[in-house]
Amino acid sequence: MTIRLNNIKPSYMSDSEISESDIYLQESVLFEKGRKYLIRANSGHGKSSLLNIIYGSNANFDGNINYDGSSNHNTFSFRESKISYVFQDLKLFPDLTIFENIQLKNGLTNNKSVEEIDHLIDQVLLSHKRDNLVRNLSLGQKQRVAIIRALCQPFEFLLMDEPFSHLDEKNCGIISNIVSQELEKQNASLIMTSLGDTSYFDYDKILNL
Amino acid sequence: MLFKLQKKTLIISQIIGYAFTLLIGATIILVTSQFYFDIKPLLSQETDLFKTKAVVVSKNITVFKSINKEKIYFTDEEIKELENQPFIKNISKFNNASFKIKAYTKESEKVPGFYTDLFFESIPQKYLDVETEEWDWDPSLDFIPIIIPENYLKLYNFGFAQSQGLPVLSKNTISLIEFNIKVSGNNQIKRYRSKIVGFSNKVNSILVPEDFLLWANKEFGRGDKNKTSRVLIEFKNPSDKAILKYFNENNYSISKDKLEFSKLVFFFKLALLFVFFIALVIIILSISFIIISLNLIIQKNKELILNLYNIGYNHNRIAKFYQIFISSTTVLLIIIAIFISNFTRNYYIEKIVDLLDFTSKSNYILISGMSLIVILIFAYNLFIINYIKKIVQPREEKISKL
Repeated sequence: MTIRLNNIKPSYMSDSEISESDIYLQESVLFEKGRKYLIRANSGHGKSSLLNIIYGSNANFDGNINYDGSSNHNTFSFRESKISYVFQDLKLFPDLTIFENIQLKNGLTNNKSVEEIDHLIDQVLLSHKRDNLVRNLSLGQKQRVAIIRALCQPFEFLLMDEPFSHLDEKNCGIISNIVSQELEKQNASLIMTSLGDTSYFDYDKILNL
Repeated sequence: MLFKLQKKTLIISQIIGYAFTLLIGATIILVTSQFYFDIKPLLSQETDLFKTKAVVVSKNITVFKSINKEKIYFTDEEIKELENQPFIKNISKFNNASFKIKAYTKESEKVPGFYTDLFFESIPQKYLDVETEEWDWDPSLDFIPIIIPENYLKLYNFGFAQSQGLPVLSKNTISLIEFNIKVSGNNQIKRYRSKIVGFSNKVNSILVPEDFLLWANKEFGRGDKNKTSRVLIEFKNPSDKAILKYFNENNYSISKDKLEFSKLVFFFKLALLFVFFIALVIIILSISFIIISLNLIIQKNKELILNLYNIGYNHNRIAKFYQIFISSTTVLLIIIAIFISNFTRNYYIEKIVDLLDFTSKSNYILISGMSLIVILIFAYNLFIINYIKKIVQPREEKISKL
């Protein structure tokens, strides 16, 4: 799948707020399969807005988006098998355990076996908390859960909205390894936002918002 | 996993409230409607009265009318007006004998001799409340069967016989006694043998077969026009309240127990309707209750629903838990209500059978209960799906712009 943005701009942002952007109001911005993109911006510049627009959960924008060359798509159907998203606010369910949170997502497609999920939990050093309610985790732990949950589905694009904001170096390294492997396995693209430069992935393109 | 998550969103006290009110409402509604079906035949026709739904109607006799006798007769216009009333199915006149009749016996050991003047009337046989094989008049036999009011027998047995030291008579004994009838008029006299073949509870008259009376009126009658003071009216539905109103307005006298019965039926139906209405209100309240509760649950968990939607659960899958939960609760409760209603029905039927001649009617409880289930489940599912869709819908609508 390719995603092409044409003259995109969140309706609620003024033109002055988005001057000198590599994406907003650009005639054509193309995201291709199998590549890694970093989108850099300071806070308040619409990073989450952009990912939400691509994901289809924010329709409040001008311009249009083409998925595989067509603008007429039901983006909701992408959520199962085309686009996975690590939300900035994580969107975990505090009353479920780590395993249950992941299984809730995995259950939509049964993409991963219980063993594979357990292995992922183990990799991010949370196996001792596997059956703890998410409400009792630290923000960094929650972030790790949200990231591995996003990997439990088939996808062609992985959207990550400031995924490492609460993680230490060690965990960032672990997570970026896991994500890289999964991207490679699924031959998928990464679109990641960040406040500044990050060197966890070999980006094919860095865009400033 | 999804169900486990959503199970926590339920508010148990509200579900219990819904269950309780629905159970009460559904049970009352099932019982009252079935009760109505069961006793409807008892209400719309008094089985121990006329086989057909007919009553005797006459004009009220007042002081003024006792002076001017003509006033007690129905005019042709009045009969026609009666015929035109929507609640009247059929109207038949009483035929009067317009000749002289005498009854007598010769004194014997068995029966004391008597000699009395009599009158005859006749009504169509289908309105008779007496079943007898001897009612047919055979011109070749010189025999006239007679039906007298049962009250006459009671009057004789408990009044006359007591005071005069005469023997009391059973219906069977009386039916065995033959006596003579002398009919005269038009310068002719004819004698007949006669016998009482039955006793009427409802017609206060001495009845003979109609074809005999028609023939005899021609043969012996004075030839004046037959005047009608009493008519037999067959109703479409004797509990129709318009009947009461009409006869009261026109100052017609209608057999009193009929009137009372009609009033009773009217109030009974009103009471039943009232109970039915209350039950309906209870059901509506319980439905509103659960709708408000669902509304609250969904609003309270809006974020959870949106998160589910965001990670890829569509509104159908999100709604499924609530649909299954509310549907199964409703089905379970109405099935319990069906059981309770059936139990109650068996109980009251047992009581009614003890008191009245009652044959059990079809049981509609199951089918009404099932209909209630279908209606409620349809309504709930539609509501839940649409409501959850509405929570996630604004996004979908905008997405379609893409």
